[in-house]
Amino acid sequence: MDEVIFLEVLEGDGVQARHRLDRFPVSVGRGYGNDVILDDPKVSSEHLRIERREDGALVLRDVGSQNGTYRMDPWTQLAELELASDTRVSVGDTVLRFRARSHPVEKTLVAAPPSAPRPRVFEQPRTFSLALQALLAASLLEGYLANYGRTDWGELTVALVVPLGITFLWAGGWSMASRIARRQFHFRTHATVAALVLLGAVVIQPLLTLVGFSLGVSANLAWAHHLAFLGLMAWGLFWHLRYVTRWESARLVRVIAVVTLSFGALSRADAWLGNESFSTELAFRRALLPPALRLVGTEPVDDFFAETLKVQEQVDALAREP
Amino acid sequence: MFAFILAAVLTQAPVAPAEPSPLPTPAAPETPPSAVPLGALPPATHELFQRLEGQVAQVRIIERRSGTRSSIGSAFFVSAAGHAMTNYHVISDVVIHPEDYKAELVLKGGGEPVPVKLVDVDVVHDLAVIQTATPAEHFFDLDDREPPQGARLFAMGNPRDLGTTIVEGTYNGFIRDALYERLHFSGAINPGMSGGPTLTGEGRVVGVNVATMGNQVGFLVPVKHARELLTRALEAKDSGTQALLDTVRAQLLDNQQRVTERLMGEPVPQQALGSYRVPGRWSAFLKCWGDTPHDPEVPYTVTNYQCSSEEDIFVSSRHRTGVVSFLHQHATSQKLGALRFSSLYTALFSQDPDPVEATRQDVTNYRCQSEFVDVAGLPVRAALCLRAYKKFPGLYDLVLRAATLNASTSGVDTSLTLAGFTADNGRKLARRYLEGLSWTK
Repeated sequence: MDEVIFLEVLEGDGVQARHRLDRFPVSVGRGYGNDVILDDPKVSSEHLRIERREDGALVLRDVGSQNGTYRMDPWTQLAELELASDTRVSVGDTVLRFRARSHPVEKTLVAAPPSAPRPRVFEQPRTFSLALQALLAASLLEGYLANYGRTDWGELTVALVVPLGITFLWAGGWSMASRIARRQFHFRTHATVAALVLLGAVVIQPLLTLVGFSLGVSANLAWAHHLAFLGLMAWGLFWHLRYVTRWESARLVRVIAVVTLSFGALSRADAWLGNESFSTELAFRRALLPPALRLVGTEPVDDFFAETLKVQEQVDALAREP
Repeated sequence: MFAFILAAVLTQAPVAPAEPSPLPTPAAPETPPSAVPLGALPPATHELFQRLEGQVAQVRIIERRSGTRSSIGSAFFVSAAGHAMTNYHVISDVVIHPEDYKAELVLKGGGEPVPVKLVDVDVVHDLAVIQTATPAEHFFDLDDREPPQGARLFAMGNPRDLGTTIVEGTYNGFIRDALYERLHFSGAINPGMSGGPTLTGEGRVVGVNVATMGNQVGFLVPVKHARELLTRALEAKDSGTQALLDTVRAQLLDNQQRVTERLMGEPVPQQALGSYRVPGRWSAFLKCWGDTPHDPEVPYTVTNYQCSSEEDIFVSSRHRTGVVSFLHQHATSQKLGALRFSSLYTALFSQDPDPVEATRQDVTNYRCQSEFVDVAGLPVRAALCLRAYKKFPGLYDLVLRAATLNASTSGVDTSLTLAGFTADNGRKLARRYLEGLSWTK
């Protein structure tokens, strides 16, 4: 064995601590008098020594520990062991590995040439405050416009507190994921993305209502609503995961596409399978906006009633179904 | 609305037969018209009851799988051949679901129920004729003689399965402005008496017990409809399951044609509502009500104006038809801005009128068509919804919804419900109705 060896304290597959040993003997144990101290309650205060023998070989010797020292492979209790490279021994709950200075390491991974990190707009504090203000303003406005009765201050307060609370809880969840996967919270970035997604969710419905009313879309806009929601979800997932995983963009996009499309399909499966349950509901667009917002013209009464022949055909077809 | 009940037949004060009866002579001897006012002679109720008890029976509707009764009613014999009159609503299950239900009759003194077959129905007037295999010894003659208002009448039937009973009450004439003719009987008619006779003191049938509103307000089908139905039933005809459904369909088609012609024959009156004109009480059979809830804390006012026939036709226990009703809601606000007013207006437009009762076996789901429509210069968001009857092809329920869109902080939201009309008639009426909307400024 080499003149210099390394004692590595393992934790799973990783190395928890690495000690360079260049002068022998070296004592290992729980006590502070040792050269290498192991904080393991099952390790004796003076547990083992590593000495250089006269022939130059390094020898590990148990110095009368309470719980003993074990060689890992094959598993045997030992009193004395000649160290070779990559030898592992177990003391208490701790695994020690010995490696020589000449121990080969794996080849360097070839990475794409790194580019200068691009400052992302979500990471800026300004974006966060703007996104949050926009969300609160939109929520408040919606709460105000939707309430045609007496001003309800409680409801308006809720319209502020709820999006705020959701944003922070949401960002908290993703931050934990970031912390676990990448050791960094990215809380502000996650909160910005969360606020933007919520802003989208608040705005989609009125926007579609406006488009539907102004252009006189008679068809149900549920599909457009569904698609917009899925788009928003995919966008939010993409940016949250950017800060959680180290995946390349292309892979991330593929994964999110699959997740989003599966979710979209499952949530619409009932309609696709044609399972319409019996209902006395009248399904047509109810939204009425101020007359000034109507862009399309009106049609004559004749045309309106002529078009209801189609409705008659539809219900006749339904009546013929078994 | 009306609670339907089982009824008993009442006899009425004797009057000379006005028209020849197609029936054999009644068991009760004919008496000449009395010169004494009817109310002046207290009839001996117990004698009347003893004489007529055997002519009134209980109808039981038997659900085939459980083999036991699912509902009960009353009936009374009207021919020697064993024909008995009852209400359509008593035996409607047998008409609509003959594979699941059958009818039987429990005669006087209990004993084994006898099976009956369904001969003919009059769904519009809520009558049906059933027939037993054995002839009837005694039966009622159906004479069409209207007694004077205040005449003492006796309703017979089997209320709540308590056995055949007789109930005293007074005659109060035809219901005013009714879409479907009914007599007003001030006396206790209870569930189980449906289909029983209401009689004068001499044992003459005045009407068939059909409904009650509680508190001694009872309704009878005038005997003339029973006589007309019996005349038809006595003519030999196919009374198979499909034939009965076809009869019901033909009667519903005739009825909606009659109602349509009646409505189309009258101009739509203009009712002022704010600065709008809306369809008012279109025909005498519509009962109209209106109100404006006053709440000083609310920054808008909504005025309701609604009209309804308040009557319907019983097709089955969970399917009604023959309804005409409409509702206007005029909303206006000085305080709300255009966008907040449109939230209110959207909320009003999102509330639909009470649906006419039906199940998925009876009707399809609604399909709608909605557009911006120009009603004589007034822009309106209109939606027309239809659903088709499954057992009676050619009949539909129609709902028209419309909201005026000419002003940013006022408007009229309106809905018209027509149940059991052909699509063409429905469209014709809906169009006339929609064209009844206008703006006066």
